Amino acid sequence: MRLVAVDERAAAEGLIVGMPLADAKGLVPHLTVREIDRAYTARVFADFADWHSNASPLVSVLTDMGEWGDLVLDITGVSHLFGGEAAMLSRLMARLETLGLAVTGAIAPTIGGAWALAHYGGAQVVEDGLDALLAPLPVAALRLTAAQCEGLHQLGLKRIGQLYGRDRRGLQARFGESLLARLDQALGYAEERLVPRLPVTELYMERRFAEPIGLIDDVLMTVRDLALQLADRLGRDGQGAQAFHLFLYRVDHKVMTLSVNAARATRDAAHIARLFVHRAERLEGEYDAGFGIDTIRLAAGSLATLGETQIGAFETDDGAASLDQLYDRMTSRLGPLAVLRTEMVDSHIPERAVRLTPVIASTAQVDAPPAIAAPRPLRLLPQPEPINVLAEVPDAPPVQMVWRRVTYRFVKASGPERIGVEWWQAGQPLALTGPAPPAVPGGSFAEPYSEGEQTRDYYIAEDDGGRRFWIFRQGLFGLAAAPRWYLQGVFA
Amino acid sequence: MPGDKHAKLDTLRQQITAIAAQPALRDTAHTLVGGGLLATPRGVLHEVYADTPRDGGAALGFALAQAGLLIESGRPAVLYVQMSVDAQELGLPYGLGLDLFGLDPRQLVLIRTAGIAELLWAIEEAIACRAVAAIVADIAHPHKALDFTASRRLSLRAAAAGASVLMVRYARDREASAARYRWRISPVQSRPPPFDDRAPGLPRWQVTLEKGSLDGQHIVSPEGEALVVDWTRHGFARVAADDRTGGARRPAPLSGAVPAALGDGLSQAS
Repeated sequence: MRLVAVDERAAAEGLIVGMPLADAKGLVPHLTVREIDRAYTARVFADFADWHSNASPLVSVLTDMGEWGDLVLDITGVSHLFGGEAAMLSRLMARLETLGLAVTGAIAPTIGGAWALAHYGGAQVVEDGLDALLAPLPVAALRLTAAQCEGLHQLGLKRIGQLYGRDRRGLQARFGESLLARLDQALGYAEERLVPRLPVTELYMERRFAEPIGLIDDVLMTVRDLALQLADRLGRDGQGAQAFHLFLYRVDHKVMTLSVNAARATRDAAHIARLFVHRAERLEGEYDAGFGIDTIRLAAGSLATLGETQIGAFETDDGAASLDQLYDRMTSRLGPLAVLRTEMVDSHIPERAVRLTPVIASTAQVDAPPAIAAPRPLRLLPQPEPINVLAEVPDAPPVQMVWRRVTYRFVKASGPERIGVEWWQAGQPLALTGPAPPAVPGGSFAEPYSEGEQTRDYYIAEDDGGRRFWIFRQGLFGLAAAPRWYLQGVFA
Repeated sequence: MPGDKHAKLDTLRQQITAIAAQPALRDTAHTLVGGGLLATPRGVLHEVYADTPRDGGAALGFALAQAGLLIESGRPAVLYVQMSVDAQELGLPYGLGLDLFGLDPRQLVLIRTAGIAELLWAIEEAIACRAVAAIVADIAHPHKALDFTASRRLSLRAAAAGASVLMVRYARDREASAARYRWRISPVQSRPPPFDDRAPGLPRWQVTLEKGSLDGQHIVSPEGEALVVDWTRHGFARVAADDRTGGARRPAPLSGAVPAALGDGLSQAS
């Protein structure tokens, strides 16, 4: 076990990061040691990172180096709001220092350059001449692995400047491609991209509060105002948006994000506000204002051109627009997996021939459902249920079955309709089969149905009460495993 | 005095019928849709009862058939609402089987809610949309929230907006409700198709209208028997009393005796 962090007093006693715990205990017998909770620190750090989205919309955490990551902001076109880059850097750092954190940071044209300067060069703003500034820094500033650093040291290459102009092929052969990639990224020859932590938005409206607010009703009221402003802005640009994100900045440096989606691009302020009202009702325990919210931002993403619509006097309204709004509202309240539409799939296996897809995700489908001559049931059970069946002779239509502990005598039956197995996808789990089967009063579900690689023979059987069932026999007679019967659907 | 009592009873009964007619709803229920057998007006709350969940196919079939009759060009959508816990017990509407009921599977939107409160919310929200023709709610078990107040609320909203609500329920005993129509549906043995005596035929149901009345239609035939209908692609078709063979295996007109006689014609003739 080793030390991963030391405070000032420990450092004064001569403890350093990376020292074995036993040595540290030997040096300082009364040392207080805590085990590091990496998941917790990473989470807290990520929260801090989110909170910085009030400075720049593109916030990311680099996790490839460092214990819990490095905070990276893309401040392109933002710094003038803070009165220049130097002012922005000192203000952001001062903001964190007042919270009692040790901060170091730098502004540079590349991510790699900023990282190197922040870790090894001290706080500064670099406009150009980056390679000259990086040259005296140790090679570790290039975000290299320990083995790479050690290898470079053995060759006497201790400064970044010593790598400039070296034979690239030799470096690659010895240290791998990552060394060259890191060098190029730091100097700006290769592009490096951020993975933004929060959804990227193209347009936003925000409101700051002198006094933090806490009630969800107040938040929603603000959302209504912001939606009006946003709709106004979108209207002036002739645009509509499909994705809307609400960022709630808490005073204790956490950000809550709520997102809603619309089926078609919209700029209807009332509709947007209503979607957030419905989304808020699904929050339950998630909403926690903490010590209050001091900034609310409503942002729009996935912008699309949306012209003014003219209402024709003789047009017939097919209702598609109002239906889309209805499905938006239901999706925002009930969740995307609750509002579903049937989609046809080219398959003969009954449970694979249709697929339930979320309405907001479904695309306009053009292919017609496969032509099936045989009747299909009105209801399909999400999982076929095993039944006990009596038949006069093995291949004859069934005469009697026991389903959920009730006996049914069949008076009519038609079939069989044989459906062969689709071996290329047999055994794959079905999408959206729903939750695990609940306990049904009066019936018990035996083991879950497994598709296997056996053909099915389907029968439509009608019992003496007129109920029509869709049952199938899985497997063939004469094989090692006896065929089993299942009930899959009910006819009207 | 007995006469007085009767008069009082009569006035009370009249008052009750006046209340049951629901003046708030009466004005909106003027458009009978399509016509035909069992056609119902728009914007009303129905209850479709089956005795047990295993009769669920018939009850849902009737509800979807009624919903399909309500579709028109400005109101193209039918919504099916179910609690997701009921899915395994009752099954989900199967896209390939909806064709018989005049519904395009891509038009039917399924809504699966977590609880009864969300289910009622979804129905109400859907009623308010002017492009929804009908909402079919499939509820496996009785719930406390499904009381008179809830049904009254739904029926008022439906009357105001013009979308019909069909609540499919499974029970033998009835709860108080403000539904305009209450149907009891039970499956009946079908008539086999002409080419196969042993095969099931078109859906055939026994329909009892327990509450409400359809203008000018006799739900109960003069003999006092319940109405039995077939569902065809063109709507409901009344089944005459003498046609209710129940589809039991009737003695076929060409049974085994005839070929035997033909085969041995000479000996018979002699």
